[in-house]
Amino acid sequence: MTAADWALFLGRFHPLLVHLPIGLVIGLVFLELVAVFRPRRAVVRAASGPLLALLVPTTLAAAVSGWLLATPGGYDEALLRNHRITGLVIAALTGLMAAAHVLRRSGLYRFFLALCFVALLPASHYGGSLTHGRDYITRYAPPWMKHWLGLRQPAPATAQSTAPIDPTAFDVYQHGIQPFFDRYCVSCHGAEKARAGLRLDHAAALWAGGDSGPALVPGQPAASLLLQRMRLPLDHDDHMPPEGKPQPEPADLALLEWWILAGAPTNRTLAELEAPEAIRTRLLRPSAFAPPQSPSQEPSSAHPSPPPLETVLPKVETLSATLAISIAPLTPTEPWLQVNAAVAGTRFTDAHLARLADELGPHIRWLDLSGTGITDAGLLHLAAMPHLERLQLDRTAITDTGLAALRPLTELESLNLYGTGITDAGLSMLAELPRLRRLYLWQTRVGPEAVHALINARTRRPEIAAWEQELAQLQTRLERARLIVETGAPPADPLPSPGVPINTICPVSDKLVNLAVTLWHENQLVAFCCTNCRAQFQQEPARYRARLAQLANPPPGRLGVQPANTQCPVSGQPADPNITLVHAGQLIAFCCSDCREQFRTRPDRYRQAVSQTQ
Amino acid sequence: MTPLQEFTLRMTRRAFFKSTGLAAGRIALATLMLPELLRASGKPQPRAHPALPGLPHFKPRARHLIYLFMNGAPSQIDLWDYKPRLQEMYDADLPDSVRQGQRLTTMTSGQKRFPIAPSIFKFAQHGQSGIWVSELLPYTAQVVDELAVIKTAHTEAINHDPAATYLLTGSQIPGRPSLGAWISYGLGSESDNLPAFVVMTPRWSSKRDAQALYQRLWGSGFLPARYQGVPLRSIGDPVLFLNNPAGVDSTARRAMLDGLARLNQIAFERSGDPEIQTRIAQYEMAFRLQSSIPELTDLGNEPQAVLDLYGPEVTVPGTFAASCLLARRLVERGVRVVQILHREWDTHENLPRDLSLQCRDIDRACRGLILDLKQRGLLEETLVVWGGEFGRTVYCQGELTRTNYGRDHHPRCFTMWMAGGGVRGGIVYGETDDFSYNIVRDPVHIRDLNATILYCMGIDHKRLTYRFQGLDQRLTGTEEARVIQGILS
Repeated sequence: MTAADWALFLGRFHPLLVHLPIGLVIGLVFLELVAVFRPRRAVVRAASGPLLALLVPTTLAAAVSGWLLATPGGYDEALLRNHRITGLVIAALTGLMAAAHVLRRSGLYRFFLALCFVALLPASHYGGSLTHGRDYITRYAPPWMKHWLGLRQPAPATAQSTAPIDPTAFDVYQHGIQPFFDRYCVSCHGAEKARAGLRLDHAAALWAGGDSGPALVPGQPAASLLLQRMRLPLDHDDHMPPEGKPQPEPADLALLEWWILAGAPTNRTLAELEAPEAIRTRLLRPSAFAPPQSPSQEPSSAHPSPPPLETVLPKVETLSATLAISIAPLTPTEPWLQVNAAVAGTRFTDAHLARLADELGPHIRWLDLSGTGITDAGLLHLAAMPHLERLQLDRTAITDTGLAALRPLTELESLNLYGTGITDAGLSMLAELPRLRRLYLWQTRVGPEAVHALINARTRRPEIAAWEQELAQLQTRLERARLIVETGAPPADPLPSPGVPINTICPVSDKLVNLAVTLWHENQLVAFCCTNCRAQFQQEPARYRARLAQLANPPPGRLGVQPANTQCPVSGQPADPNITLVHAGQLIAFCCSDCREQFRTRPDRYRQAVSQTQ
Repeated sequence: MTPLQEFTLRMTRRAFFKSTGLAAGRIALATLMLPELLRASGKPQPRAHPALPGLPHFKPRARHLIYLFMNGAPSQIDLWDYKPRLQEMYDADLPDSVRQGQRLTTMTSGQKRFPIAPSIFKFAQHGQSGIWVSELLPYTAQVVDELAVIKTAHTEAINHDPAATYLLTGSQIPGRPSLGAWISYGLGSESDNLPAFVVMTPRWSSKRDAQALYQRLWGSGFLPARYQGVPLRSIGDPVLFLNNPAGVDSTARRAMLDGLARLNQIAFERSGDPEIQTRIAQYEMAFRLQSSIPELTDLGNEPQAVLDLYGPEVTVPGTFAASCLLARRLVERGVRVVQILHREWDTHENLPRDLSLQCRDIDRACRGLILDLKQRGLLEETLVVWGGEFGRTVYCQGELTRTNYGRDHHPRCFTMWMAGGGVRGGIVYGETDDFSYNIVRDPVHIRDLNATILYCMGIDHKRLTYRFQGLDQRLTGTEEARVIQGILS
């Protein structure tokens, strides 16, 4: 075992050791309290001595083991820093207490003891938060206490679990797999605490993996560390989740296996993947994986889901008719409405908006107020529409003051402000909208600097820097996974340079070719003397193939075929194969160019000679 | 019992009155109470184009559809499908291994040869996505990052009439409702004063004779006729006989319409013919169009910068650019489906000249439409579709020279693009072989395309049906069609 291994091992004793100083300090405090009511100074002093003698070394041991435990990392930085500081303060105070006791300065001793006790409270709270999460104490606190502490209510379980059951809108990863991780894994492998460097709270982190490598291998559940660990026997050291934590059901593991086998897709709906019936029912359970705490990434809505659509459909009809606007459901299963008031034009005023917000406010998801007669005052009614996702306010009379009324719209994703009197001042408010993704500012008085400032304010969040880092890590992993194989240059292109035929003699008539008459035949350009020959070749290519092969592979410097004669028909001398003439489909060689000229002028005179030399 | 008698029995009075806001009873009732114009009275009006109950089937990605139909079939090899190696194969014969027995039209079946005609136009990469676009579409190339270019659309039909009918109504055999009619039937429309489905047929620049268009391409088929597309005329009044004749004012017109509606209602009660309902609805819509059409076509308040986006032709009524601007205005006013059918892309001969002329008609206006929708925030909720009914062949029809060629019809692969609501921009979907003849990867049948369009609008193509002749008819027919997830964002 190396020193590092010992360090890791001994660090694990910190949770054990740290409770000794806590108990001892409390014991000492108790002794002092007893001394207040039943003054037996000497007895108390005598009792405190051995306790103090135990306190100092155990505090030191706790501090050292704490340091060793923190070294591998994976803890929330801020919490760790606070815990460390208060712990060191306590350690220093115990030393001072011991010194005061030895020096018989009881007043000072009691002062340090009191300080030590007070310092214990935050130190142990931070320690507990490090191990169990920031909201460990308050998670199940009664609502009045939460409210008193100023904590936001997490969305009730029913709202969280209304994952849409329509298969074409059910994102398998987001609605089926990530909630599973949120329930069983994220408390130790999440944003606040990432044990073994592994985070399971969002897709990018899944691929990045942790200290032991990637958590899963798409397509291979057997090779995926995540699933392997979860399938180990419960008493195995490496079994995940650790013993004592809530354990997933076998059906959940089957679901995970199916998902990994399908390639671990993070952008596919249930309708797109083939799922066996058991998996399908498991995914579409209404209360699937209701997490005990709100997921750490998106801010949860403070408002509960509105009642189902059936309760308001009659109101929809009458209101749509009365206000002369279009109100329609978004989907048949969810309680959302889309409202188009633009069709009413400037006749739609603040009063109408008030009525709409009053009767149907929580149901409205998309609201089109383009070109209507609303003003800044009317925007105040939008507070009654907390679930607005898309809002169009273009070409209305609103100004910067009205934009402040958009603050409660925590779910707003798209905001259209074109053609309004918005200026730079109003833009800064929009940075507070947590989910805003699309903003339209054509024909407003907003300048480019204000736009840049807004984009920076929205995108310079620490999570985004972390994600970009993870992206870079994933890219390096991809690079490393690539295999480049070099097999040398590809074979030479069999095509000749375009436009140059492979022959100079027509394979059909044996005459010299006309370069304008060509044909692509089996990836080669063949030339012919005339179009008739070409047509003939096309009809029966097999007949001329052999001839073409001969003509296409000429010896260098030759026309491609050996002359038929070895004797010059004019002079009778041995013929030079380089001096040739094509005549009547034959290639005839001559001894010299004079004979060739003679033959050319009077071919019939020497025909007999030619046929004789065949 | 005759079908008509059956129908009358099924159709109770209550169902009749509930079914449409343009029904006779409501109008009559309203005007009995207040004789002045319905709009100004502020009396509650039921919706003119209600959606079917239960729709949309799931959360829509787009609220409107603008369909730019290039009738005649634009040549994909000269516009979108870049095949540089074809340059080496000028005048080569199309190998049988590529053609694989594809049937020819009668226009080229008599040809002895099928020489390959590479495109004479230069291609370049554009935008951040690096999509290849030819020099014929310089403006569209500038917005290529908004487009999802589908290179592998395919069909079975090889001639214009059956192919256009197939693409726009779901079957080569006429008699079925068009895509716009289905959407209008299922989702209704948001505007009371404009039709749910509007059609425009602008003029074209290439040679004069063009393939005919048919009313069935925007018709309602077996759906009640009130769901058909309303064509806006290119020249003169957008809608004929809209304005009151001399001596008739609005009150008189209103009284006439109400009387007519009562007469029609009596006729309906007697015979149960649904076309009477349609007729009542159309009269009512015509009345409303009297005020909404002049406001729609008055371009007075459009800033010059916006007009410049579409090009200089935008102020000339009847051009493609003017139709695009009107399409944007219609969508702004709540119309559900706008279809623009641009003709004469059928370049059997003189392709270099004719295709350039056609592209000049549409190129700048397409970019203008996309940018105009985008800056108004309408692109995220409007689906824009562009394409023809099939593609064109790689081989030349007629004489092939280095500067001129023609192409015949080719159903096995062609290019369409989609942009806007729910579609990922800057991607190319699918891959064709080196001859732009066969599909290598990711085919998109036109049925799949229609299913995807319906999906973006929030409709499950399998669930939007209408019982006719004993079948639950649907746009995508009885064969399998799937939504193309690869182009959706």
